[in-house]
Amino acid sequence: MAALIEPDLEFKRAILGLDAPDLTACYQCGTCSAVCPLSTPDNPFPRKEMAWVNWGLKERVLSNASIWLCHQCAECSAYCPRGAGPASVMAALRDFSVRHYAAPAFMGRALGAPRHLLLLFGAPVVLLLLLLAGLGHLDGLPAGRIVFAKFIPDGWVEVIYSLAVGLALAAAAWSGLRYLNAMQQAGQGRVGAAELAGAVVATLRAIFSQRNFKDCTRKRPGLRKTYREHAHRAHLALFYGFLGLVITTTSVAVGMYVFDYQEPWPLWHPVKILGNASGAVLIAGLAVFSWRRAADAARAGKSTYTDWLLLTVLALTALTGFACEATRLAGLRQVAYPTYFVHLVLVFFLLVYFPYTKFSHVVYRSAAMLYSAAIAARLPAARAAQAGLPAADAARSLPAA
Amino acid sequence: MAGKLGVYLCAGCGIGEALDLGQLAKTAEGAGASVRRSHAFCLEDAALIRADVEGGTVNGAVIAACSPRVNRDVFRFPEAVVERVNLREQVVWSHPPGAGETQSMAGDLLAMGLACAARAEAPKARAQAAERNVLVVGAGMAGVSAALSAARSGLAVTLVEREERLGGYAARLYRQFGEVASFAGAEMPAIEEKSAALAALANVTVHLRSRVVEIAGEPGRFKVRIAAADGTEREAIAGAIVLATGWRPLETAKYARYGLGSAPDVVTSLELEEMARHGTIVRPSDGRPAGRVAFVLCDGHEDDAHLPYGGSVASLVALKQALYVRLLNPHATAFIFYGDLQTPGRYEYFYESVQADPGVMLCQGASVAVKRREDGALVVAAEGTPLGPSVELPVDLVVLSAGMVPELGAAEPALNLRYLQGKGVPVSKFGFAESNFICFPYESRRSGIYAAGAVRQAMDLAAAERDGRAAALKAIQAIERSATGEALHPRSGDLSFPGFFLQKCTSCGRCTQECPFGALELNERKNPVLNVNRCRRCGICMGACPVQIISFSNYSVDMLSAMIRAVEIPEAPADPPPRILVFACENDAYPALDMAGLRRLHWSAALRIIPVRCLGSVNSILVTDAVSRGFDGVALLGCRPGEDYQCHFIQGSELLGTRMVNMRETLGRLMLEPERVSVLEVAISDFDKLPAMLEEFVDTVQQLGPNPMKGF
Repeated sequence: MAALIEPDLEFKRAILGLDAPDLTACYQCGTCSAVCPLSTPDNPFPRKEMAWVNWGLKERVLSNASIWLCHQCAECSAYCPRGAGPASVMAALRDFSVRHYAAPAFMGRALGAPRHLLLLFGAPVVLLLLLLAGLGHLDGLPAGRIVFAKFIPDGWVEVIYSLAVGLALAAAAWSGLRYLNAMQQAGQGRVGAAELAGAVVATLRAIFSQRNFKDCTRKRPGLRKTYREHAHRAHLALFYGFLGLVITTTSVAVGMYVFDYQEPWPLWHPVKILGNASGAVLIAGLAVFSWRRAADAARAGKSTYTDWLLLTVLALTALTGFACEATRLAGLRQVAYPTYFVHLVLVFFLLVYFPYTKFSHVVYRSAAMLYSAAIAARLPAARAAQAGLPAADAARSLPAA
Repeated sequence: MAGKLGVYLCAGCGIGEALDLGQLAKTAEGAGASVRRSHAFCLEDAALIRADVEGGTVNGAVIAACSPRVNRDVFRFPEAVVERVNLREQVVWSHPPGAGETQSMAGDLLAMGLACAARAEAPKARAQAAERNVLVVGAGMAGVSAALSAARSGLAVTLVEREERLGGYAARLYRQFGEVASFAGAEMPAIEEKSAALAALANVTVHLRSRVVEIAGEPGRFKVRIAAADGTEREAIAGAIVLATGWRPLETAKYARYGLGSAPDVVTSLELEEMARHGTIVRPSDGRPAGRVAFVLCDGHEDDAHLPYGGSVASLVALKQALYVRLLNPHATAFIFYGDLQTPGRYEYFYESVQADPGVMLCQGASVAVKRREDGALVVAAEGTPLGPSVELPVDLVVLSAGMVPELGAAEPALNLRYLQGKGVPVSKFGFAESNFICFPYESRRSGIYAAGAVRQAMDLAAAERDGRAAALKAIQAIERSATGEALHPRSGDLSFPGFFLQKCTSCGRCTQECPFGALELNERKNPVLNVNRCRRCGICMGACPVQIISFSNYSVDMLSAMIRAVEIPEAPADPPPRILVFACENDAYPALDMAGLRRLHWSAALRIIPVRCLGSVNSILVTDAVSRGFDGVALLGCRPGEDYQCHFIQGSELLGTRMVNMRETLGRLMLEPERVSVLEVAISDFDKLPAMLEEFVDTVQQLGPNPMKGF
């Protein structure tokens, strides 16, 4: 059955505009797929994505798992004989994809361009100011020992943020399901719920070991420099730094509401140590990413607005968190409380807008990995061997396969 | 006949150390020749030879030194017969020094040289004034370019064009692809200015709506009759001819599978060119602008419309026309379906420039079809593409690549030659005017007639323009050579030509048929008549003649036979060393032997090598002579025949192949094994393999044992 193709020139132009200006130079030699450490004979990429984008086949590209299986090692761009920049194209496709699946769609558009930034930051500011006004805390900063809960009570923060983040999670889940559904309709076919469930463990293993990032740097085809050699370690730092902070925050909440162990907790407390250490690791990872993005812009491909947005917001969130702690310990009341306010605004931005920023990759990439793991679990042993995997291992290794 | 022979024995380049030159001098003196010796005749001692020749003491100089392929100018003495005995490359550099067999080889070669020189005469040119007028047939890009080039070089030009205007297909183009740096985008074709420049030249006569009805004669003086559409006829004399009749599109029927002719919105690239020239690209069915235009290259291997020689033109035209679609309507999209997109050399930049337009989309497909959907939409269906194994694309217009078929006249040959061998120029299997593609691309097999442009090879405008200029230069050269009686290449400058001892002619006509260049006509008595300026001096007629009446003053069956007889055949009672005669083509095989010698590769000292102008010039009787004389075997070293022939005279090695059948029969009658005679194919680059090839033949012959005819 022949597939009807509907070239969409506007889509092609949109991707060209997302800092992938050389994609038209592709002449389909397939070098990119051959050098990609993650692509396999069963699911080669990014060659097909290059062909599809050049023909403006929007639905086909966006319903494809490969764009999220790519972990941007940039080997393809380093070896592309035409300088078509497949890695930049894949990044642009992910960028576009986030907006495409965004629910509601206007949020996707809002996070996609800098002109809406004021409004986006304004929303949590107004929300927090209304809360402060309602509590009557706008008159002045609380006196005495600095306890942030005196300024903005934890309970209110928990309620408002839980609701907002809950909404965001629902939106992200909705988007993720739409993407999963799109993949199910597309080329590689449908997988059942049981198959997906069976692939969960393999996917989680891949995520927690960050194995794809590792393969990106370990299974390199040659010696050409990609300027992405830092990606595995730096992302490992971000991943576990962020995870550490999630555990810290959750532990604090549990401590407060279950054991009534009120803030601030002493610095020697294990949870506190975990929090500080995680924050430091996160900042270190962010620093490496920011530095490489700035230093290698010309060689490693440009960074888009959405790249910098997530990096900046994450960095500011972490830094204001440390600033809160430092100014609190230093007793700088006039600085500590406003810093806490700013920190809360940033946390809001980070967590509530996450389905529409690059942060949403946690949803889309997980969905793509899960789906691909389920597909690969069907591979007969021979094909698994062709993919360079022991048959029993095929399912486990799937994000790579 | 050179009665006064002088032998010049050179001791340089290792010859003196490897050979006993005293003994060779004795051989020469024994044959009645004067002998001079030097350590380097190629230096100031060349004056010794000159003095002997100019002083009249020597009229046949046998120079026993280096290969005849080197120091040609040093040893050029037009007044005398010059015979070069190749002691350096083919004796001392390729055989062990001081060995008895090496010495006897040198002795034989010297004796062969003496035998040949004694029977040769220095050639005297048959020169006749040549007409300095070039006839150009066809006024497309190649023809106009050739006419301009010849006219600007000071020659008179007669330009004949079938249509009513100059320019051919070039004048029907909307744009041509980028020819100047940066080779991007499309440009105005340069034909208009060239045509205008041509019209302004006083020494150019243009005959429009005319055709050539007859060409007779030979280079330097072709008689041409030109008929205009109104029936009037003119006569002209041309020194040389440029054939630039271009191409015609492949017939519509070949595109039936794409619906050309039945579906109105399926057109050829020529029709699209026409639309673009009128400013809009529309669907012929309803006149609406075509928003989605698909170009199909028709280059699948099973495709009726696929021309195996199509090369890059179809690819470049599709890319160019995709630009038209985008230039004339920025909202339109162009799609190119190809099997093999070829954009060689600098055209890569053109390709890149087209590719950079997002509205031009390219897709390789193993097989491409055009269909009509139930709702009437035109659909391009492609299999095996990077977009998917099977895809369908609805489009407004399909453009098929018009295949370029060489236009040599369908009913009436374009040139109407009054030649015994036929009215047209011989063509290759694809219908192109045939030439030795590697060495002489513009040559046709009719001397003085040069093919340029798409009639020679499918090509683009820039190539046709270059072709026209190049063919004009060859035409001018042909005229100059005709005036002095010199041969065209590959024997450039040769003054010798075949003579016919007609009293013994049996009027079999074989020479007239086997001449690859149609140089011979028959007179009323069915005797051959030579058109000397058509002749390339290959000697194929001499090899063909069953009664051996064809000779050159310095190359004949008699001379070759004398050389064979000059070889001393050892007849020791038991186990004499073998002797094997080798006829080596001077164009490829002989230079390959020299190159092997230059690299000090050794081969059997049993071989006695005679250079020949072409294997086709070897008369069968010479092989009989050799075996009767006692040679144990005969090897014929020449070029590859057949479709990818390398023969410089096109058919020489092929004709030899047919003669070999007769030669083997002769051997059978003599109760000899046919394996004693063998043709070995050698390319000039095979010098490294050559010694082993020869060794293998020597082994084969030795296994057969000595020739039983020895001593008779």
